[in-house]
Amino acid sequence: MNFVAPVINYSQVLPILIVLGTALLGVIVEAFVARDRRYQIQVPLSIAGLVVAFVWILKIHATTAITAESAVAIDGPALVLQGAIVILGIAGLLLIAERKLDSSGDAFVAQAAAIPGSEAERTATLAKLTQTEVFPLTLFAIAGMMLFPAANDLVTMFVALEVLSLPLYLMSGLARRRRLLSQEAALKYFLLGAFSSAFFLYGAAFLYGYSGSVGFRQIREAIQTNAGNDVFLLTGIALVSVGLLFKVSAVPFHSWTPDVYQGAPTPVTAFMAACTKIAAFGAFARLFYVGLSGARWDWRPMLTVIAIATMVLGALWALTQTDIKRMLAYSSVAHSGFILTGIVATNKAGLSGTLFYLVTYGFTTIGAFAIVTLVRNASGEATHISGYAGLGKRSPWIAMLLSLFLLALAGIPLTSGFVAKFAVFSAAYESGSTVLVIFGVLTSAIAAFFYIRLIVLMFFQDPEEDGPTVAAAPLMTTAAIALCATVTLVLGILPNSLVHVIDAASRFVF
Amino acid sequence: MEATHALASGTSSLLVWLIALPALGATILLLAGRRSDKWGHLLATALSGASFVVGLVELFKMLSRDGETRGVSQHLFTWINAGSFNVEAGLLLDQLSICFVLLITGVGTLIHVYSIAYMEHDHDRRRFFSYLNLFIAAMLLLVLGDSFLNLYVGWEGVGLASYLLIGFWNQKPAYATAAKKAFVVNRIGDMGLSFAIMIAFTAFGTVSFQGVANHAGPEHKQIMTWMGLALLLAAAGKSAQFPLQSWLGDAMAGPTPVSALIHAATMVTAGVYLITRSNFVFDSAPTAQLMVVIVGVVTLLFGALIGTAKDDIKKALAASTMSQIGYMVLAAGLGPAGYAFAIMHLLTHGFFKASMFLGAGSVMHGMNDEVDMRKFGRLRLAMPITYITFGLGYLAIIGVPPFSGFFSKDKIIEAAFNAGGPRGWIIGFAALLGAAITAFYMTRVMVLTFFGQKRWADEAHPHESPKLMTAPIIILSIGSIAAGALFAFGSSLQHWLEPVVARGFVEGEPALQPIVVSIMALVAVALGVALAYIKYVRVPVEAVAPTNVSIWTRFARRDLLQDAFNEAVFMRPGQYLTRALSFFDRKVVDGAVNGTGALFGGLSVRVRRVQTGYVRTYALLILVGAALILAAMLAARI
Amino acid sequence: MSPNNYLVLSALLFSIGAIGVVLRRNAIVVFMCVELMLNAANLAFVTFARLLGNLDGQVVAFFTMVVAACEVVVGLAIIVTIFRSRRSASVDDANLLKY
Repeated sequence: MNFVAPVINYSQVLPILIVLGTALLGVIVEAFVARDRRYQIQVPLSIAGLVVAFVWILKIHATTAITAESAVAIDGPALVLQGAIVILGIAGLLLIAERKLDSSGDAFVAQAAAIPGSEAERTATLAKLTQTEVFPLTLFAIAGMMLFPAANDLVTMFVALEVLSLPLYLMSGLARRRRLLSQEAALKYFLLGAFSSAFFLYGAAFLYGYSGSVGFRQIREAIQTNAGNDVFLLTGIALVSVGLLFKVSAVPFHSWTPDVYQGAPTPVTAFMAACTKIAAFGAFARLFYVGLSGARWDWRPMLTVIAIATMVLGALWALTQTDIKRMLAYSSVAHSGFILTGIVATNKAGLSGTLFYLVTYGFTTIGAFAIVTLVRNASGEATHISGYAGLGKRSPWIAMLLSLFLLALAGIPLTSGFVAKFAVFSAAYESGSTVLVIFGVLTSAIAAFFYIRLIVLMFFQDPEEDGPTVAAAPLMTTAAIALCATVTLVLGILPNSLVHVIDAASRFVF
Repeated sequence: MEATHALASGTSSLLVWLIALPALGATILLLAGRRSDKWGHLLATALSGASFVVGLVELFKMLSRDGETRGVSQHLFTWINAGSFNVEAGLLLDQLSICFVLLITGVGTLIHVYSIAYMEHDHDRRRFFSYLNLFIAAMLLLVLGDSFLNLYVGWEGVGLASYLLIGFWNQKPAYATAAKKAFVVNRIGDMGLSFAIMIAFTAFGTVSFQGVANHAGPEHKQIMTWMGLALLLAAAGKSAQFPLQSWLGDAMAGPTPVSALIHAATMVTAGVYLITRSNFVFDSAPTAQLMVVIVGVVTLLFGALIGTAKDDIKKALAASTMSQIGYMVLAAGLGPAGYAFAIMHLLTHGFFKASMFLGAGSVMHGMNDEVDMRKFGRLRLAMPITYITFGLGYLAIIGVPPFSGFFSKDKIIEAAFNAGGPRGWIIGFAALLGAAITAFYMTRVMVLTFFGQKRWADEAHPHESPKLMTAPIIILSIGSIAAGALFAFGSSLQHWLEPVVARGFVEGEPALQPIVVSIMALVAVALGVALAYIKYVRVPVEAVAPTNVSIWTRFARRDLLQDAFNEAVFMRPGQYLTRALSFFDRKVVDGAVNGTGALFGGLSVRVRRVQTGYVRTYALLILVGAALILAAMLAARI
Repeated sequence: MSPNNYLVLSALLFSIGAIGVVLRRNAIVVFMCVELMLNAANLAFVTFARLLGNLDGQVVAFFTMVVAACEVVVGLAIIVTIFRSRRSASVDDANLLKY
């Protein structure tokens, strides 16, 4: 048997390789550098890796390639999303690296193996132990996220899915405070994640059985020539969708989202809420626009129903939440529904609208969670909504920034969220999904209610007596918030440049 | 709608400065913080004045152009350009918007001056001025935007400024509640505006006034009707029209200059502006137009009735504002025959109501912030200037010739009668009745405050206000004398606005001759005044409101049960639902804010029980979901 | 034996696994059920490879095994921590986050 070495365009996959390489370097640092010096090395190293990766993405921005035996497709959408993931990854990393907020160190547990409430834990806390494994873990997750929307066959997609998920399972369980909640979040995330990826894999098997290949192009051609057994195709589509819908937290596969978002350390929540959603929707779009586009008349009704259920139920659930992280989690469910609207459109406007939505949503989400890390009381973050009463009086800047992010999430004009919503809705309208648009607009109105309720609470209500205080934002958190706020504002007032970039990039290669 | 506008060039690019100057003021004052306490109010006033000067320059430039090319528009930047969805940010200054620009900046500047003295002892005066400047900027953006979307931005901006100013003294819980109420009611109205924008976009692919106007016509009657109703909802929210009027009375919690500027002269009239600006929508949607008329008539009577029972001077004036705006909305609902009169009444009302509010502020200033008119009396001797200016405003509002209100209100009543058929008679007489009640309750306000015997507490030492306060009132009251005649003479305002709102002259034989209408109106006014004279001058007024009053008075005192109605229909069921489902956090769920939301809230509490916290339930959900998807996908094939 | 039977077997294994996830309480057993589902997928891949006469499916099976091994590492770590904190591996005990 003759083996031919696969051809790999290293230049195109270099951003992924850089991030992976940095992650491996991080592991080596963990192994060989003294404990108290690791932080000083890990933070600059990780950020430098991401910056270099981003620069490289800019360098190759107009190129396209299908490489590594057509396992990876680097094209406009992939590069846009990879760029967004890397930048948001930097913002997330800044939050993760913040050590000035918590008096006892950072947001992560001193010793993950110590039992909560035990002597070992107390000793570790007293010794002010801090861990730095979280940096390589974040980088591995980012690498997986970068590969996910570029994956051009089902196996690569599955591997990317696991590469991004496994570190996140662990990171969810690493909170320094409220450890039982954090561990529970990790357990739930892990079990349900593994469960749903089994569905994905089984669906992939059926698509392979239908087309004789796991490559998207081959699946596409098989559908066009109607080559195989229809039942295999439809079963495959259904099961693969389950896996992906789980990752984007669409109803009814969303149930992990609120629990994990609430239990995980807030910097990790910020990071995964933004980046996982981008990566998963990127993969979703590629699979459905490239691989399964010929079967769109089969999957569009199914996705339409799911999109409506996701929007409506997500917004409805969010209405009565009293924990801000949980509220943002349900809001992220509702946003998945809005983004699905763009996917269901199955036209170019739908693709570019989805991409635009993902980018803007990522920045607003990280910004909002970053502010959650600032509002604290003696026992850590004060995530109960009542703690936000009167914030406008005590810390007008923070309250205004949070309002900006909330308004953007609500899709009020002059914020990026409005442009994004309009883009996906108009794409769906163009494609004839009027029902979806009507539900979308009505749900936006319901959803606006709970965002604005929080704003009212901040500005029109008196603070609680012994309510939480707002920590003076330290450098790294400030940088992350400033980045997110600037992007949100600029994309709201002058969205044009990004719209054009994304418009030009909205073409999948296959 | 006029033909394409001349593109602004040369000094026309001053347009941006109209908005930029006050916006700059707000920014500087907010950013500089306490450092600008000493000079902040002066800067804000100067910038507002500068904006007025720019407005004047624009007016003269406009006068120097011919009728057809008077409107100018200026393209600022392309906001969104995504294939089919294209929104330009641009400004449009035409004959309609220049009226508003001058009103906003002119009255606004006078009120800035007045506030310097009025707010002198408030340690947050700088913040107050920054909000005032913010308001001016947002209001100018509202009237200068060239598309519904740009208007919406200004619309939200004035809303924001209004909440900030109503709740300015938010250390008092009642005031904070008032701000919240205004916020919530306005949200309902804003939803109307966003629906209208969505409708315009989905149906016509454009949101600019020009673009939508190009599609106006009978062939789009259905769409225009929906859009018109959505716009009416928006206008009702902002302009405190039935059934969204309840917030205006409470909004009087804000400092009096705010009530004068925002809740009398400018912001609350934005709804009238919206309807007039969207004349092309309403002209092709008779149903929506009829609704506008009904809303206007109901509100003008409703407001007038509430006004008869209020003892709080500011609330009485607020009720009268509501009622006067009802007149404007009524006029705007009459179509081309009424637009110009709506705007005319809006402008004259801006003058006399602002002057009366400032007069009320002056009274309160001299009376230790007392607002109960039963504790006033005989103030004409202590505050002669306030008395005279308030009296001029009074004559203007009840419509005594030759004061401004006479001309504008008379025209509206006339247009109402001429609306044709039984409909014309009904709304005409309703408008007449409103005029009579207006005369009644305004006479009551006048008598209770300035005549009769003194009823104030011993520790009050009424005195005339400082010159900085009286000067703006005097200027405004000159306006309230002269403006009406100026606009009405030779139908000058009608001609001026003609390019924007199409022909506004009655064709054919009018139902009633103008002179007949005038006489009827004067008789109605005389009746109202006489009744008030009998009730409040012949009989001495008690310092404490009597309690053994008729059920009608009690109704009116409680705003015709508006709040009770809201409470019973929206809030109570919500609250019961809420209490039954004890998960609800009371602190977060404030009945007033969340009443209507509670419907969804209750639903929300039920559906979220799915989220049990058990991994196995979640797994089951996933499994069932997967099975359903699989079944749905395969159903077609098997 | 017809290769179709292997497909039926894989569907059975997958269903047993999925139902096991829903019914069993012990986190380890739940996890093993997930592994069973992954292996059912592997079986399907290999069967299809045989049916279609190409090797892709068999290669995928190897990928799956590696990924499953990684999942075990991470999963057991999480389950063991939870067990140490709560002295129980029942997934029903982890029920603080809800609604």
